[in-house]
Amino acid sequence: MFDALIQGLTLVLQWNAFSLMLVGMALGFVVGLLPGIGGAATLALMLPFVFKMSPVEAFAFLLGMHSVAATTGDITSILFGVPGEGLSAATVVDGHPMAKRGEAARALGAALMSSLVGAVIGAAALAVSIPIVRPLVLTFGSPELFMVTVMGIACITSLSGQGTRAQVKGFAMGLLGLLLATIGQERQSGILRFDFGLIYLWEGLDLIPVLVGIFAIPEIIDLAVRGTSIAGNAPAARLGAGVWEGIKDTFRHFWLVVRCSMVGVFVGILPGAGGGVAQWMAYAHAVQSAKNASDRNGFGGGDVRGVLGPGAANNSKEGGDLIPTIAFGVPGSGAMAILLGAFLIMGLHPGPDMLTKHLAVTYSMVWTLVIANVITVLVCLATLPYLAQVTRVRGGLILPFLLLLVFVGSYTANRQIADLLVTLGFGALGYFMMRFGWPRAPLVLGFVLGKLAETYLFISIARYGYSWLAQPLVIVLIVLTALVIVFPFLQERRSRAA
Amino acid sequence: MRLSGAAFFSLALAVVAAYAVYAALRWPPKAALFPLTMGIPLLILALAQTLVELRDPPTPAPPPGAQARTVTVFAWMATFIVLVLLAGFPIAVPLFVFSYLVMESREGVGLSIALAAAAWGVFHLLFERLLHFPFETGLIRSLF
Repeated sequence: MFDALIQGLTLVLQWNAFSLMLVGMALGFVVGLLPGIGGAATLALMLPFVFKMSPVEAFAFLLGMHSVAATTGDITSILFGVPGEGLSAATVVDGHPMAKRGEAARALGAALMSSLVGAVIGAAALAVSIPIVRPLVLTFGSPELFMVTVMGIACITSLSGQGTRAQVKGFAMGLLGLLLATIGQERQSGILRFDFGLIYLWEGLDLIPVLVGIFAIPEIIDLAVRGTSIAGNAPAARLGAGVWEGIKDTFRHFWLVVRCSMVGVFVGILPGAGGGVAQWMAYAHAVQSAKNASDRNGFGGGDVRGVLGPGAANNSKEGGDLIPTIAFGVPGSGAMAILLGAFLIMGLHPGPDMLTKHLAVTYSMVWTLVIANVITVLVCLATLPYLAQVTRVRGGLILPFLLLLVFVGSYTANRQIADLLVTLGFGALGYFMMRFGWPRAPLVLGFVLGKLAETYLFISIARYGYSWLAQPLVIVLIVLTALVIVFPFLQERRSRAA
Repeated sequence: MRLSGAAFFSLALAVVAAYAVYAALRWPPKAALFPLTMGIPLLILALAQTLVELRDPPTPAPPPGAQARTVTVFAWMATFIVLVLLAGFPIAVPLFVFSYLVMESREGVGLSIALAAAAWGVFHLLFERLLHFPFETGLIRSLF
């Protein structure tokens, strides 16, 4: 195994593979900055170019691109409040308020360094788990997967803010998100729900226009109303000075970063869950990790831990995603389904062969994840002080470009003009939510998890009736879910008593 | 008791939930289960919140001029969508940047042209040349 690990490294460092990885990274860097055309879409667009490459070159190119896109998505999220990737929306919640406070460089430093730690943990998890992954993945059937999504939905209590009123608003928004996820054709009966006679709605609402509208447009309006730059009146000296502070933050809260990375790996392994889920669950975990109610107050207003958690999970889930893809040929996400296509183009068959005959190729993927992220973070760290200066550009000059970013990004996700209207509509919803104090994060979490939860619930009932509720792992997950719901209330009560 | 903006928003949410419940009641149980499970508690919570908002003092009004600026930004967004529909992205992108900078931000014509050209350049190089991403050409071009 150790020989294969070293062989994997030498394969990636060969000139052809390494230079193709750099090309992929450059592409992934640009694509990551744009909302909509995410890593998965770019993988699909680049798939035809790998026909003449060797397996190691192809995976260095594709994985280099994909992993960097996930990292750089955080940059636009923090600087402009526009989620660069569907996966990086949770970073907006605390990252952009930091940028508005003049701490863009610190937030970027924290996001990038935690991303690097997450990527290394994800790659290590992939390397270590290859021999033991089979029983782990097989343990999780539909009932367990349903309970994991319910546990994710239960995180709404952590994302809602404090006090009964905030909790009521948070739950209502979570329910609205779950309801929005039911739009479109119901998979079991084929009934069209809330389609209003529009073919566009048959497939349901897409995540990107919803996310971009709900998060980015209210920020753009805020910028227009303030009439200043993003960083407003923050002292110019603070802007670029925080990079090291952000890096130090990663190590100050190292165990939080490790735990959130593990959340990312775990969610990545589960089929269908995807990076958006990993980020929000990691964010909720970061909020729950606060020592007491007053320690939680800063979340949502620019707490660096709210950047570290999602940043770490964002990249660690890439390693987790690869585990079932390589070991079983079961892709954990849309991007991995496309990567599976690359396996077949290369004449490789995911499964036992990848863990024996082609083990060096498998480990070359592990190394690609690590090396691509190290290079990206080093390049970004060198340029962060300059990137942070963007927050000093006056609003009037930057606004049309932000609007372009929002609408071109929304369109490129599905090439549907109607997505532009959905973005505008959710922008208006996001604006009113902000204006009247309704939290946006629970809505997104509900929307992301809604479809998954419904699908797993129906498969569980169809397969096991209601006896699935008595399965041991399901019971454990029910208890954990109850703890997730009750914990914030207990914490609040304890801090009130203190 | 006055229907403030916040109360109106909560009430609108209740109306959405009520519609969802009403629509779901006509579907077979499998399709209706999830929307009903979400819609009924949402309706209750939204109505409760409406009552709370009706009793509460109204949310402080936004600073003077804020509402007008908000409406203006929404109008610009709608304009961009109309431009895309009519002329397609490749033309709408530079045209929008130029118009916004000149008419809204009151920038000089020279700078506005330069920035509009830069926006078009990045768009063209990245999406059309590098990614070969197909964009709608717009209604006007499809007519001729």
